[in-house]
Amino acid sequence: MTAIIEARNLTKTFGSTTAVDSVSFTIEENRIYGLLGRNGAGKTTIMQLLTGQDFATSGDVAVYGQSPVENAHVLQNISFIKESQKYPDAFQVRHVLASAPWFFTNWDQSFADTLLGEFRVPLKRDIKKLSRGQLSALGVIVGLASRAPITFFDEPYLGLDAVSRQLFYDRLLEDFAAHPRTVILSTHLIDEVSNLLEHVIVIDEGHIIIDSSADDLRGSAVTIVGKSVDVAAFVEGREVIHRDGIGGLSTVTITGQLSAADRQAATAAGLELAPVSLQQLIVRLSVLEDAATEGVLS
Amino acid sequence: MTLAPPLNPPSALRRIINVMRLHLVNKSVYIGIPWMIVAGALAVSVIITLLLRYVSGETEFPGMAYSWAVVSPLWYLIAAGVLAISTTLPFALGFSITRTDFYLGTSLLFVTVSAANALAMATLVEIEQATGGWWIGTIMFSALWFGGQTWIVNVLGFLVIQLFIFFVGALFAAVYLRWRVMGSVLLWFGVAAAIIGAVTIIVLTDSWVSVVGWLTTQTTAALLGWLAVPVALAALAGYFIVRRATPKN
Amino acid sequence: MDESRPIFLQIAEQIENDIISGALAEETQVPSTNEFAAFYRINPATAGKGVNLLVDDGILYKKRGIGMFVAEGARTRLVAKRRDQFTEEFVRPLVAEAAKLGITTAQLAELITKEAHA
Repeated sequence: MTAIIEARNLTKTFGSTTAVDSVSFTIEENRIYGLLGRNGAGKTTIMQLLTGQDFATSGDVAVYGQSPVENAHVLQNISFIKESQKYPDAFQVRHVLASAPWFFTNWDQSFADTLLGEFRVPLKRDIKKLSRGQLSALGVIVGLASRAPITFFDEPYLGLDAVSRQLFYDRLLEDFAAHPRTVILSTHLIDEVSNLLEHVIVIDEGHIIIDSSADDLRGSAVTIVGKSVDVAAFVEGREVIHRDGIGGLSTVTITGQLSAADRQAATAAGLELAPVSLQQLIVRLSVLEDAATEGVLS
Repeated sequence: MTLAPPLNPPSALRRIINVMRLHLVNKSVYIGIPWMIVAGALAVSVIITLLLRYVSGETEFPGMAYSWAVVSPLWYLIAAGVLAISTTLPFALGFSITRTDFYLGTSLLFVTVSAANALAMATLVEIEQATGGWWIGTIMFSALWFGGQTWIVNVLGFLVIQLFIFFVGALFAAVYLRWRVMGSVLLWFGVAAAIIGAVTIIVLTDSWVSVVGWLTTQTTAALLGWLAVPVALAALAGYFIVRRATPKN
Repeated sequence: MDESRPIFLQIAEQIENDIISGALAEETQVPSTNEFAAFYRINPATAGKGVNLLVDDGILYKKRGIGMFVAEGARTRLVAKRRDQFTEEFVRPLVAEAAKLGITTAQLAELITKEAHA
């Protein structure tokens, strides 16, 4: 697979705050990437740096091997719909859809029209009068219908209710299957999208703490539940990422795949093995990361 | 191994024209509203004329030339110039348009709209004069110092004044977008300082009389020509400021 | 979809289950990767991985230009594989749980016989 975006030691500071701290990663074409992290972790900033909407303080970004900044040859292939996208004063929904084809070569009008109906966004309404959900839906519709070879979605579905979000995920998958493109989706609703993602990049306070295929992550941790003594004995020598307990019971999450022998040993010891969802895993690892940065080990 | 971008952008000219089309996709902003204001101002002028005729029995009202009703759409154009940058630029960045293409397209918009308006206004001046003030002595377009010249001077005059408003409005919007309140305040201070500084120098060197004398000897056409200088400066400054603008949230 | 295991494995298992149960007969066509992806709401690449796993195992094969088909003898092979896993997956936990509850082997055998004849 070929690298379509490369970030090398990418850094962005705003005054004394470092929003993105020497971050390096690669994006390969025609996959769905999840850019995950808490609010304020740096996801939007990274996306703005990748699309030339903001300028890096240091380090570089290469999209198709070139800098995206002020580069029409690269930008023609990108669609970046922000959660807080501004629209021109007095614009109506129909103006957005009328002008989109001039800037997105692969724009599919009938797809856009279908989506407008499904998300219930009225064509003749002022953008200023749209509800939060309709505004998010419009952003999603433009991103989907643009069929841009590199499409970013920066939490544009936050204003959408659960039904609309599911509709977005469904349409995204459908369209991705029929017309493959590189999709980069940022969110903090990890469990909802975990099945869509092929690769996961997790940002925490401007650093990348996870950069791995979703499948590798899934099943890379397990939670052991049982009597505290027994659990402690079992997790001896393993990497613990979370502990919890009540009374004489413990719940401990460890990393690493358990072999069949391990599983048998656990069952024999009267321990229960519980799965760790992608969201739980990422939360645990983020918390650990924060604690480590603060110099306190849990 | 890196890939070549699969989609090629249209030519630079095409992209710039598309930006202009983007500004015009909502016809009301640059065409509808300004002309509605002009129509409204004309309607008001006509009504006032009719009232004056009724009350005084006169048929000519040279004083109306001082009403400056013709200037009415210009106030709105200030807002249009500001909004072209403040709201449309962040939107354009979301549509993957480069800042250079955007600025050139917006400049083309300003020039095209100003030129079309100027031609129309100058022609309305001729019609007003030819019909003796819309058949009832209304003087709106041929106001005293503005639109009272030859057709070509009127065109250039309307053109330069609109461009001044557009580009200066856009410049202020660009400064705000890039440097927010701090920058805007500094700009205002800068402009005020420049004016006060110029006046101070003129007063201190006792050259007030000669400056005013010089100004009165300049024809309207020449004065308008001088106005083109700050227009060009504002346009250029706007470009350099927009080049590093980012869509703030 | 189970949280703890790679999804492509689960897809492969689901197809295997369908073959064993007879829902997918030998030499019939299985849904396309995109159809699986849409149905399970997962990434098409992941669905593809699951399908490819079965192709590698000789359970499915590709007919050029048409799609994926269930291989001949797939069911037999799968049943044999599952039988091998049966002891570890089902019998062992059953025995362990019975031991926990104090059920003797004889009682366990009786329970199984009763259940089988019910």
